[in-house]
Amino acid sequence: MRLAWFAFASVALASGSLTSAQNLQDVVKQGEQVFNRSCATGYCHGLKGVAAAAPRLAARGFDEAYIENAVSRGLPGTSMAAFSGSLSRSDLRAVITYVANLNGIVYSPAVPSENSNGAGVVLSAEASRGRVLFSDPLRSFGRCSTCHEVNGIGTPVATPIATVPADVQALRGLATPSVRTAILNHEAMPALVLSNGSREIVFYDLTTPPPVRHTAQPDTVMWRDGSNWKHSSVAGSYNDAELNLILAYLRSVVQP
Amino acid sequence: MNRVSTKCLCFLAATTWAYSQGLDGSTRANWLHYGGSQAAWRFSALDQVNTANVTGLVPAWLFQTGDYSDGLESTPLAQDGVLYVITPRNQVFALDGATGRLIWQHKPPASRPGRAGGQAYALSRGLALAEGKLFFGSNDNFLVALDQKTGREVWRVGIDDAKQCGCNVTAAPLIVGDKVVLGGTGADAAHRGYLTAFNAATGRLAWRWYVIPGPGEKGHETWKGDSWKFGGGAPWMTGSYDPELKLVYWGTGNASGDFYDGDRNPETDKGKDINLYTASVVALDADTGKLRWYRQEVHDDQWDFDSSYEVVLFDREVRGRMRKLMAHMNKSGLTFVLDRVTGEVVRAFTVPEEQNWITGVTEDGRLIGRRDPEVGKPVDICPSVGGAKSWNSMAYSPRTGFLYAPLLEICNAITANPQEPSEGRFHANGSMSLHLPPNRSTYGHVDAWDPLTGKRAWSVPFKYPLLASILSTAGDLVFTGDPEGNFFALDARNGNKLWSYQTGAGHRGSAISYSVNGRQYIATPTGWQQSLTGGFAASMFPDQTFRVGSTLVVFALPGGAQ
Repeated sequence: MRLAWFAFASVALASGSLTSAQNLQDVVKQGEQVFNRSCATGYCHGLKGVAAAAPRLAARGFDEAYIENAVSRGLPGTSMAAFSGSLSRSDLRAVITYVANLNGIVYSPAVPSENSNGAGVVLSAEASRGRVLFSDPLRSFGRCSTCHEVNGIGTPVATPIATVPADVQALRGLATPSVRTAILNHEAMPALVLSNGSREIVFYDLTTPPPVRHTAQPDTVMWRDGSNWKHSSVAGSYNDAELNLILAYLRSVVQP
Repeated sequence: MNRVSTKCLCFLAATTWAYSQGLDGSTRANWLHYGGSQAAWRFSALDQVNTANVTGLVPAWLFQTGDYSDGLESTPLAQDGVLYVITPRNQVFALDGATGRLIWQHKPPASRPGRAGGQAYALSRGLALAEGKLFFGSNDNFLVALDQKTGREVWRVGIDDAKQCGCNVTAAPLIVGDKVVLGGTGADAAHRGYLTAFNAATGRLAWRWYVIPGPGEKGHETWKGDSWKFGGGAPWMTGSYDPELKLVYWGTGNASGDFYDGDRNPETDKGKDINLYTASVVALDADTGKLRWYRQEVHDDQWDFDSSYEVVLFDREVRGRMRKLMAHMNKSGLTFVLDRVTGEVVRAFTVPEEQNWITGVTEDGRLIGRRDPEVGKPVDICPSVGGAKSWNSMAYSPRTGFLYAPLLEICNAITANPQEPSEGRFHANGSMSLHLPPNRSTYGHVDAWDPLTGKRAWSVPFKYPLLASILSTAGDLVFTGDPEGNFFALDARNGNKLWSYQTGAGHRGSAISYSVNGRQYIATPTGWQQSLTGGFAASMFPDQTFRVGSTLVVFALPGGAQ
């Protein structure tokens, strides 16, 4: 833990980003909001970290390194989950600051400041709406994120999006040469091969969303080139205007 | 001791059982479903071990899983002499049921990093089995099918993005005809819960039923504004199936946020259905997933009183007429006996000894004297969010006609605190602190309840909360375990304690019975759960250490197999 603290302190000093008092107040306030939403809730630490079902966090003499480690990485063997993958970096920084504050520590750790999508780009209003549509839970399996992972959201069935289609027509009519036809248990299905080894072949059955990932012995599957699968068949939950917003989002975040 | 022959299994003819007409939900050599059968009786028709000889029960073998992350909560399955068990972190083992020899082990790939919600509940509670495959819902939210012979993965299909929904699967799936049906976690998160059915052979989606109706659907009007989008209700345990009626029965979770209704309740009359179909039991068409009937048990839940627990299907004579019935005890201890064809209430009663969230319930299921949480002010509520009963299952015996339930007595002070929902994040709308009810020295009990009269036939008190499922057998035995590590047998007829064995670690799982080559075995998982309700309960007794572990301990009468 000491080592981690030193490493952490070095980063903070090197970045030269000690927080101003006014800014710190804002960060603490933000941290309190995050804490109330994520950490104080019914099953966990209680408002102001006074303890509920999970232990008290206030006035425990924790140092920043411990707090940072516990919040970011979780505590194995306990219910304390790792929040580094779930809180935005700004929220993470704020909640660490807040818990540090509850333990009488006034300076906050410096985590690089965050932007709206986590990839160094501020999204336009259009792109922000596109981001929501991309993984819209109300569309169930009819959303893009059923097969595409962008910025950590979604299931990476397809390979990462490298080129953003020029327009809606191109998106619907996207050529998918890597989709072939597999014949498994006497049934033909559109399939996307993930890995093809001598002992096993792993592929997705694209017949109906969500794709089903099969692991089979190579000699149990027969293959035909090409398939009748079309990208437009899985984009049907969106209208053209919505797809345009999604394209705006992808243009903002996909690095060519 | 009355020594009986253990060379054969001497079944009593089913017709001699007092309440054995109609649906048979018992198990025999095999234990094929989470609840024993799809009717969730957790009743074994094996009677080699019985009230006369249970004192001779000794360990036959034990198996350490090596996964000590959070106890061993699952229900093993048994088929043709092989036992299958899953650990909290989705390791699956196939074991020789007679010797405990390891046949194969499935170790899942490391979970993809995900949101806290999905990762926090690494608590797998069971498997399903059909068509030569084993099925489970994974911590990272896939339905996975393994080859039953080798343990190798056959297919997996994504249920939802755990990183986004803050949900995953902890419950065992249920086999429904040619489909695998499973619910998920997320009732306490800003998440819209659902049941999903996949084709058992191909893994393809068959249907999804959302607990919360969308715009234009009946029941949508019971939600205020946009609250339906993240209103919880996730059905996080395992339901039941009646193949004759082709109906799937499932209990649904609480509305989210848990402790404050101001942003989700459009009603002033709390006696009406509010926030459908949360805190309800529902009957769905097995082929289509369409809702056939529902019964909301807790209107406008503000106590985190899920109704997501097991549904026990049984047939009994009511006022001279055979009825197809079901019994459903929810987290509050409120118990509904319903006609499972129509959903009509046959009886409603409540089981906790410490209860102040309501003053009572009418025979037709209306709540009397609600005590609701308040914003910014702690209100003492019994039972607690840990429940009058946790998720662990009760059992039913067609010999006695009783339901056997493991119960606990803990209270909590709830403070409502309105919050904005954020998709996939915890959304309790408040907090609670637990405490033991005053003026008593026992905080757990095993009860036998007559489902038709709503009367308690017997009750055996225990110092600590009981958080392991019940197994009942045709030997008129009721088995369960306590947090101190004792696994014990009670007489199903009167609750007399007949046998007990210290297994070395606390009980939070579900025992089963099966037979191999004519020898009856009783298998129990051991190992205390430190998180959630196991952790809550343990925190009430700081002088005690409920021991962790992850071991399957299997008992039999000596000499039976040789």
